[in-house]
Amino acid sequence: MTSTGATGATEPRPADADGKLSLTLRVNGRDHAVRARVHHTLLDVLRSEIGLTGPREGCGVGMCGACTVLVDGRPISGCLLPAVMAEGVEITTVEGLEGPNGELHPIQEAYVAHTGFQCSYCTPGFILATKALLDERPDVTREEATAYLAGNLCRCGSYVKILDSVMDARDRVRDG
Amino acid sequence: MTDFAHRAPIDPARGGMLDAVERVTGRVPYTIDVAVPGMLHARLLRSPLPHARIRSIDVTRARRVPGVVAVLTGAELVARGDLQPWYGPVFRDQPILAIDTVRHVGEPVVGVAAVDLDAAQEALDLLDVEYEELPAVFSLEEALAEGAPLVHEEPPRTGRTFADVIVDAEPGTNICNHFRLRKGDVEAGFAEADEVFDDVFSSPPVQHVPMETHACVADVRDGRVTLWVGTQIPFVVRSQIAEIFGIPQSRVRVIVPTLGGGYGAKCYPKIEPVTAALALVARRPVRLHLSREEEFVTVTKHAARIRLRTGVTRDGRIVARHNTCHFNTGAYGDIGPRLIKNGGYGTGGPHHVPNVWIDSYAVYTNLAPAGAFRGYGINQAAWAYESQLDLIADRLAIDPVEVRRRNLLRDGDRVMTGEAMVDAHFHELLERAASWIGWDGGAAVRDGSRVRGKGVSVIIKGSVTPSTSTASAKLNEDGSLDLLTSSVEMGQGMHMTLALFAAERLGIPADRIHVTTPDTDVTPYDQQTSSSRTTHSMGTAVVGAVDDIRAQLVRLAAEELEIAPGDLEVADGTVRPRGAPDRAIAFGELVRRSRSGNLLGSATFRTEGGLDPETGLGIGSVHWHQAAGAAEVAVDLETGKVEILRYHAGVYAGRVMNPVQAELQTEGNVAFGVGQALFEEMVFDGGQLQNGNLGDYMIASVEDMPGELNTDVLEHRAANDIHGIGETSLPPVMAAVGNAVYHATGVRITDLPITPEKVLRGLRARAGAAATPDTLEEVPVR
Repeated sequence: MTSTGATGATEPRPADADGKLSLTLRVNGRDHAVRARVHHTLLDVLRSEIGLTGPREGCGVGMCGACTVLVDGRPISGCLLPAVMAEGVEITTVEGLEGPNGELHPIQEAYVAHTGFQCSYCTPGFILATKALLDERPDVTREEATAYLAGNLCRCGSYVKILDSVMDARDRVRDG
Repeated sequence: MTDFAHRAPIDPARGGMLDAVERVTGRVPYTIDVAVPGMLHARLLRSPLPHARIRSIDVTRARRVPGVVAVLTGAELVARGDLQPWYGPVFRDQPILAIDTVRHVGEPVVGVAAVDLDAAQEALDLLDVEYEELPAVFSLEEALAEGAPLVHEEPPRTGRTFADVIVDAEPGTNICNHFRLRKGDVEAGFAEADEVFDDVFSSPPVQHVPMETHACVADVRDGRVTLWVGTQIPFVVRSQIAEIFGIPQSRVRVIVPTLGGGYGAKCYPKIEPVTAALALVARRPVRLHLSREEEFVTVTKHAARIRLRTGVTRDGRIVARHNTCHFNTGAYGDIGPRLIKNGGYGTGGPHHVPNVWIDSYAVYTNLAPAGAFRGYGINQAAWAYESQLDLIADRLAIDPVEVRRRNLLRDGDRVMTGEAMVDAHFHELLERAASWIGWDGGAAVRDGSRVRGKGVSVIIKGSVTPSTSTASAKLNEDGSLDLLTSSVEMGQGMHMTLALFAAERLGIPADRIHVTTPDTDVTPYDQQTSSSRTTHSMGTAVVGAVDDIRAQLVRLAAEELEIAPGDLEVADGTVRPRGAPDRAIAFGELVRRSRSGNLLGSATFRTEGGLDPETGLGIGSVHWHQAAGAAEVAVDLETGKVEILRYHAGVYAGRVMNPVQAELQTEGNVAFGVGQALFEEMVFDGGQLQNGNLGDYMIASVEDMPGELNTDVLEHRAANDIHGIGETSLPPVMAAVGNAVYHATGVRITDLPITPEKVLRGLRARAGAAATPDTLEEVPVR
């Protein structure tokens, strides 16, 4: 058994008797010792082993964005990345955006201020995609944000207020 | 700023959601987050065939897989004899697991519960099922053909159902229900007509695609069944589970966390019976969470074919309608037998038509069951009558807006089900829509390779009638309030809305009010969170419950102050003598002095009505929901692609309780409608779904939204009524877009969705008919 971490290192990795591997994942600034089989996705492990509820399965094929997490700051679909390939990278979920005492991140404040959600199942994915977008383009326009967020689906169709939230978040982040 | 409990401040003039902070931190609990100690994980083996006899199921190898606790088949369920294995909200025609026969691809055949999903999946892989394939029917034409194979050989078993359901199956055929509406004298109406137009419009099956697929955790112990489930209708789940298990309803507990979307998909039992049956057999709690692919074969929107024969006078007044509606309800009735009533009478439209004859049929086929879907039959109906109205306008050379002015209902006119219309705003909705889109009756505009056109549509929709909602409230000894209801929060902001009702009535801030999620052990009855009924029905019940408490407070204060109750007023969380605020007693103080611990209030709100089974006349709806849409589209003449440049979504609300959520629901309806107008369609081949995943089945993304969107939630507070708006602005979208495409190109698409291929085919057909370029013939596209 081998695993290729996102660092590019390849090393032999024996599985335990139950077919699981012991892994160390760095999630929201902390190391977590977890166990997973080779076909278990990062999404599976974040939910079942680490107990996070922000990343959620929507389609299982990387099309809806509900399982979006940041890997070294870039948005990826947690349902597509095998957990064994997620060692050696910084993983951020929506739970990692809050301050130490639960203070909301300015992006989260913007989504609250504009009610950029309805059922909110997709919201952590949208918020993390917004984070990556604003990190990449602090002066993003509404048109650019529309194109960038096309990979996150909201079946409630809260898109108008999601874009309102993103534009407000841009100002909140940029203007401190 | 948020307070210590991470609650956002509440602005009643804005509304929103009570638990907004939990929703942006990923902590709001859904059913998929429920974990019970000892919980097993379930997987279902599903039928690969659309119609087949089950010859044998070999479970021996599956049972040997380490970690597998239960393997259950339909035959074993029957052999146990302790469960009633058939369920359904109207007919008891759906087996918990297939019994002898499978009737659609994806039907659950074997259930497995194991310590983890890997073990459950391994067991599935080791199951061996032998089938004997049977002839199947998929389309309405196949199902209705003479001598067609029957999806169900026995007439459907009936059971307790909703008061408004009318059942009239046609045994020996695939028609499982027939609804009739007979108003006026339709033949006399046609005799009076100058022209009769006869057109057929169809809608395909589409999927709800709630981002959270169906999930359920079941625990069976101590003679009780406890379910945590994302359902819109907890009390029907409770009654059906009680019926299946043969136990009193008090021994079934249904707990409903917040829903990750519903849109009708989570109405009526879906995966609850099989999850509970597995928990019974495994003697441990069981969790089932469907994959997206499974969701696609669990429930769909009804495909429909609607034929409209419409008699009109030369000046464009509709004098007679004869409508024949067929709804493809799939392999099991689900709520289809009821939906065909709404979809059937719905084809009467928001028009003053004296003579109406409607037949509406629910037809079994070997496709996945169709059920409730946002719009509840009105999407299909409005697509038909609003598309045909533009054809009629065109053929009579009357402006499409003008033809609507001549037909839309006004106060006092008889709606299709016979009652006199009150609080009609169709004309105002139409004028606002036409005005916003800049309707001037002008021709389409050429813009490079594209041509721009505009279209409008106006619809009417009922809300389930009769219906019942009960609310309870507890006023605590600090003057804060708990509201207990079984209305389901699924993103519509219902908790905030109900809190705002109570806050306004009691004169306390909404942030002192908590609203529970449903738990049938604790929260009182609500019929259903659907049909856009919660704000009206449960809102009224909540006001009644709070009024009950108000009356108690006034009585208590009257005794304390030795003042007649009539001389007291309730204000600012106190009861006080009129004009003497210094003698006010705070609510909390009154509760403490009452020594009741808390003051309990409750109220039930019922609506009355129903339709005659022979004539379809009576009271179709407690009040009529009304909406209008206006679209401007650009059609690319080279590719056939339709872009929605601008859209106006107008809906009548009476009074808006939660302004932000009203906008969100309306914007969401537009997103839903854009998908159904332009690209959503479940494609089947031989009963096999070809696009049952989100890679192949598109739903609207942010890029698909209209370039400009005007949300127009119309209020008339003097009417003193509240209309739900959760669905109403959806049905106009498809017809408004279709009419705009027709205006732009002369191409009339009669079967949704309006794909580039169909538009191109229509353009070519028109080019082929170049000898008469100005005649706007209906273009057959199939």
